[in-house]
Amino acid sequence: MAGVSQAIALERPRIDMSSVLCTAVLGVVTFSVVFPVLLVVLQSFQVAPPGQPARYGLDGWRAAFAEPGLRAALVNTLTVTLVRQLVSLPLAVFIAWLLARTDLPGGRWLEFAFWAAFFLPPLTVTLSWILLLDPEYGLINTVLAQLPGMGKGPFDIYSFWGIVWVHVITGSLTVKVILLTPAFRNMNTAFEEASKVAGAGTLRTALKITVPVMTPVILSVLLLGTMISLQTFEVEQVLGIPFRFFVFSTTIYDLLVTRVPRYDAATALAVVVLAAMLPVIVLQQWVTRRRRYTTVTGQFRNTPHALGAWRWPALLFMLAMVAVVLGVPIVFALLGTFMKLFGFFHVKEPWTLQNWTTVLTDDVFLSSLSNTVVLAVGTAVAAVIVHSLIAYIAVRTRYAGRRALDFISWLPFTVPGVILGLALLWLFLGVAIVRPLYGTMALLIIAGLISGMPLGVQIIKSGLMQLGGELEEASRIAGASWWTTYRRIVLRLMAPTLIAVAMITFVGAARNIGNIALLATSANRPLAILQLDYIAQKKFEEAVVVACIIMVISLAGALVARLLGLRGSV
Amino acid sequence: MADETVLRLDGVRKLFGAAPAVDGASLEVTRGEIFTLLGPSGCGKTTTLRLVAGLERPDAGEITLRGRVVASVARRVFIPPHKRNLGMVFQSYAIWPHMTVLENIAYPLELRGERRAAILDKVGRVLDLVGLAGLEGRPATLLSGGQMQRLALCRALVYEPDLLLLDEPFSNLDAKLREQMRVELKVLQRRLGVTVLFVTHDQVEALSLSDRLGVMHRGRVEQVGPPRHLYEHPGSPFVRDFLGQTVVLRGRIDTPDAGMVTVKMDGALTGRTLAGRAAPEVGLTPGADAHVAIRPEDIEVAAEEGTPPRRHTLPGVIEALLFVGDRYEVRVALGGEQRILLLLPRTREWREGQRVELGFPPELVSVWPA
Repeated sequence: MAGVSQAIALERPRIDMSSVLCTAVLGVVTFSVVFPVLLVVLQSFQVAPPGQPARYGLDGWRAAFAEPGLRAALVNTLTVTLVRQLVSLPLAVFIAWLLARTDLPGGRWLEFAFWAAFFLPPLTVTLSWILLLDPEYGLINTVLAQLPGMGKGPFDIYSFWGIVWVHVITGSLTVKVILLTPAFRNMNTAFEEASKVAGAGTLRTALKITVPVMTPVILSVLLLGTMISLQTFEVEQVLGIPFRFFVFSTTIYDLLVTRVPRYDAATALAVVVLAAMLPVIVLQQWVTRRRRYTTVTGQFRNTPHALGAWRWPALLFMLAMVAVVLGVPIVFALLGTFMKLFGFFHVKEPWTLQNWTTVLTDDVFLSSLSNTVVLAVGTAVAAVIVHSLIAYIAVRTRYAGRRALDFISWLPFTVPGVILGLALLWLFLGVAIVRPLYGTMALLIIAGLISGMPLGVQIIKSGLMQLGGELEEASRIAGASWWTTYRRIVLRLMAPTLIAVAMITFVGAARNIGNIALLATSANRPLAILQLDYIAQKKFEEAVVVACIIMVISLAGALVARLLGLRGSV
Repeated sequence: MADETVLRLDGVRKLFGAAPAVDGASLEVTRGEIFTLLGPSGCGKTTTLRLVAGLERPDAGEITLRGRVVASVARRVFIPPHKRNLGMVFQSYAIWPHMTVLENIAYPLELRGERRAAILDKVGRVLDLVGLAGLEGRPATLLSGGQMQRLALCRALVYEPDLLLLDEPFSNLDAKLREQMRVELKVLQRRLGVTVLFVTHDQVEALSLSDRLGVMHRGRVEQVGPPRHLYEHPGSPFVRDFLGQTVVLRGRIDTPDAGMVTVKMDGALTGRTLAGRAAPEVGLTPGADAHVAIRPEDIEVAAEEGTPPRRHTLPGVIEALLFVGDRYEVRVALGGEQRILLLLPRTREWREGQRVELGFPPELVSVWPA
């Protein structure tokens, strides 16, 4: 009888728990990512001013394209993006090659320095470079001005090149280095050795073999970098506004923060950005899928190129790079907090502790700090669960909607952060059942979760791909269900990667500005928004104190992520 | 000039950390031969190959290529790999994935400043040689495993290197293709006359391909010689046991005389004696424990036990009989204690439990100190 009942049990059509779970995840992600994006598109045709009944038309689009600054913003966005990538890519490839393929002394420490720099908040870095490169008071400029024949310091951070410089330092370069270095390290050494045996020297091997073999990875990183570079707006907001230099994101912000917000025109611009980003995403995914051949498992050993006499010049170059991306921002951000008047080194008695006491005794600061801690921890925990589920479904299951889920996880990259925040605002004010969340930390956590989704899901996905499927299959064969396997095998094996993703999300949430600028209220205002408020009130001294506190939180996150052995990967 | 030395290693040492991977290796490879380094994994054979290629720097010793010192610790000489004019086939083939078949092979020729027409001509000829003609334009990633390996061979041969280095080139191929490539390689080498240094852990590959082979053990070259000589006259217990199957029996030395040693058997075999030649370079004293070694295929198996027992034989019982197609594999118990594995022809009938008499011809037996 036992045999019969077993046979019947097998034949009974059963509800597959795994596909129920997959569908639930797809549903939630669609609601919180696709729906807001659709709202943005819809809103661009809603032309009635806020507070009046909805009316649909093309006025917003007309206004957006009639906007005199639009063409300039378009040109500025494209040129800044292009120049950033052109400057940072060759530099990043060279640095990654030095770190991963040569006998450069202290390579691991230098790599960690780039990690730490990646975690520095862009706004903090911007503020410290203002101290050095402000046209009037910047330290470098005042020193150079004293040289004979120099009337005035040659540098101006409030310029196109100033913006490019800060961008290269804050993100473009470091993110590429930390993604490219492990990829260069994992490359099969035999490709290079075959070239050397065939008669090519180190330089020729690097240019004709290493870089071409790595081209798909480099391209993939370039596209990812391009997407990330279209995200930030703090740098342009701080450095571009003084000389009326607008890019897309700051134009959109400008349209939103006027007295009568032009939601229609702002969202119309956002749709333009979205349309431009979609092909980049598709291209990035295509390139990433095609590059499976570049690494070979079970390689013999990684023999580094001997730099010979170039060892010490190369080390000097790397130390200079680390000073620029990490040393200067940390040192000058700290210096700035002790200045009576931010940026004025030459006044009498420039130093004071007043800024710290002002900030630390401010009630708003204390509530903001606790908000930031709740926000960062909450986002990190939520990200581990949600991002790993998405990544797992996309990589491991045969679920019909897995490609859609994978694609959706990229969508937050396509919408400027400010607009995504706005869309979430509409979503949470417009849909009755989720309305109570408005004004709570939960809303900010959801925003952080969504903005961290592309990177978080990518990192977990590549971790899963390296893990190999057999370990899970063995668990399934041993009798474990899909869910049990996920809990008992996948989560355990992926623990280091997941904790690292948690740290990245933690840091991202702690310093996130664009996404939550419109969502935060006085009840749930975190430090990052407090910092922005201080800047808006021209209280740079207080702003830089807050910036330093965020920086310390971020660097602690970097250290934890690194200690847990995260290797960046695309 | 038949005896011209292409490669000479002199006391070469390479440390990884504190552990020596290669520990004073010395050998000579002469022009036109296939010289094989054979040994278990971790014996230092691949490191030796990489030292020859210049992919590793030695910590001691000297490497000479065609009379030119390419690495010498004492003389502070180190020629980088790209100036050694060697060809190398890697275990993973290292076919550059961003290039076509033509571009992969043309690369070393371009580095040597050859003209386009000459390059095309040479590539065409070398592809023809390995049966890949017409695939010039194919992206290298679209080749099968066997094709990739041939391509790697083409790339290493096309510029007529002084020495061709092969690093376990067949280990990624399936068994059938491996046999085929082995024959192809030998035919090709004989046609081109190129000198080959070959590294493998597969003794069948080593025995069948090499003109001479060196068995490596713990970073040293233990014995060098033609395959058949090493097989029949191993110089050390390691070489004896690593090359092919060996039956080893315990006993006690009776009389060592005139190169032929008599050994008294112990335990259940007490009363029986075997004889064999003394293994090289060992002093065997009467009464000392000894090992008697013979290749299993050299044991003569008779179906009946003779009475009285003939000289140089041991009695046994077939414990297990396995028919494996072309022959039988049998386990024979000798006097209840020692057990040996033998191969028996299928031309005769065998059954489990059958008593047999095993003959150990003294000229094929060697005696070792225990």
